Amino acid sequence: MKPAPLQYVRPASVAEAVDALEEHGGMARVLAGGQSLVPMLGMRLMRPSALVDINDLGAELGKIDGRGEETVIGALVRYSALETSPVIAERLPLLQEVVRHIGDRQVRNRGTIGGAVAQSDPTGEMPLVCLTLGARVVARSVRGERTIPIEEFFEGSYANALEPEELLVGLRFPLAPVHCRFFERGRKHNDFALLSIAVAGSPDADGRWSGVRIGLGGVNDTPVLAEAAAARLEGRTWDTATIAEAAELALEAADPPDDVRASAEYRNHLLPIQLRRVLTDLAGAEPWKT
Amino acid sequence: MEDLIEITVTVNGRAVHERVPARMHAADFLRGQLGLTGTHVGCEQGVCGMCTVLLDGEAVKSCLLLAPQLDGHEVATVESLAPDEGLAPLQQAFKEAHALQCGFCTPGFLMTATALARSGRTLSRDDIREELTGVLCRCTGYENIVTAVDRHINGEHVDV
Ligand SMILES: Cc1cc2nc3c(=O)[nH]c(=O)nc-3n(C[C@H](O)[C@H](O)[C@H](O)COP(=O)(O)OP(=O)(O)OC[C@H]3O[C@@H](n4cnc5c(N)ncnc54)[C@H](O)[C@@H]3O)c2cc1C
Ligand code: FES
Ligand code: FES
Repeated sequence: MKPAPLQYVRPASVAEAVDALEEHGGMARVLAGGQSLVPMLGMRLMRPSALVDINDLGAELGKIDGRGEETVIGALVRYSALETSPVIAERLPLLQEVVRHIGDRQVRNRGTIGGAVAQSDPTGEMPLVCLTLGARVVARSVRGERTIPIEEFFEGSYANALEPEELLVGLRFPLAPVHCRFFERGRKHNDFALLSIAVAGSPDADGRWSGVRIGLGGVNDTPVLAEAAAARLEGRTWDTATIAEAAELALEAADPPDDVRASAEYRNHLLPIQLRRVLTDLAGAEPWKT
Repeated sequence: MEDLIEITVTVNGRAVHERVPARMHAADFLRGQLGLTGTHVGCEQGVCGMCTVLLDGEAVKSCLLLAPQLDGHEVATVESLAPDEGLAPLQQAFKEAHALQCGFCTPGFLMTATALARSGRTLSRDDIREELTGVLCRCTGYENIVTAVDRHINGEHVDV
């Protein structure tokens, strides 16, 4: 469990960091919280020529900012900061709830939102929430900055649209829908999920929902949106039949893996049942009537 | 020959200057280079929590930190807890509650609980259990560990 020899670079600014990534021509890796990267180095699943440690860049990458309708979270914001941030509690409560399902105290003290999104674990909670809430990923390289819609970001299991010379600098979240729910089933508490579901939407005064998004984790190569299911729920009130139809439609987005955590069959079995429960719970809250 | 990186790090209140390979993790540095073998190593992949130390006051797994990352920071290991004579109150609580058997996991729990106690948070027994999930114990079944930490933080008779 020892990494292969490598160089260690500790830039003092984002500009220096992207220079270092460029210099190594795609052979360097960014070191953020190290909660995924360091184990991968130890197992020699990765042999980068250098690590670019961004932990000194808190001033540039460590802020949580509410600007108008948008909430901007720097790549180096740690899970533990998200857990306690009043800005997140007010603006993105789903994100705050979900953090509690990730890892343990020590992992949350180090792990960062940028690292979690860059890691692109298909069962990761953070990628799922970013997808469900329609975040945009901001990436920078020596060639400049670009913004990638999250729907185009995840490309496969642990694969994404970042170039190797690019630094993820932050995530921009639009105004979140009024109502959100998160559900996850794992083998044990705080373990990686074998199925996770995030739902967001806003009901109007008559109980008709708009902006419905349903994100699913653990049932495909990447977190996915259950688009057919969401379309079934959009613009309607949610009676039992509608919810049941939507829950079955969610299977269209699922192509789950067979792995050590669960069989594909079991994940397909869980999905409609659990989604129906989450939707029923959301509909049952009937907050628009109060 | 592998490049060595110079670091200056405060360990248990004492400044140390050392040269470390970039790929050395902090637990190996503390044990092998500084001889602080109270920090244990189990899995070296962030799962068992044996290697938990405080980095600038926060509980972290030192097998997931590289030694060069320590430069300019403060580390506290289990060796920092006990006074010259006897045990620290948290250690005494572990002893009284029979919160250890083989003791291999104890440094990890002590450091995790030290950060927790200093956080000043109000903590129920369930909260404490949750906060300790990053350290595994194969002997005790956890009950007595939770009891020790609960008594240390909330006092003997507080039953939250
Ligand atoms: C015991 C344990 C339990 C865990 N449980 C969970 C869990 O329940 N759910 C879950 O989702 N995760 C879990 N994790 C993983 C954890 O969430 C990681 O912290 C996270 O996936 C990566 O964040 P990081 O900041 O540690 O990134 P790192 O480990 O530093 O990096 C991860 C990858 O992202 C790249 N990267 C990091 N930051 C950037 C950036 N700014 N720009 C470009 N590339 C970047 C790195 O090069 C690397 O390839 C667990 C980890 C451990 C050790
Ligand atoms: S040795 Fe560090 S967590 Fe197991
Ligand atoms: S006392 Fe033996 S592992 Fe915890």
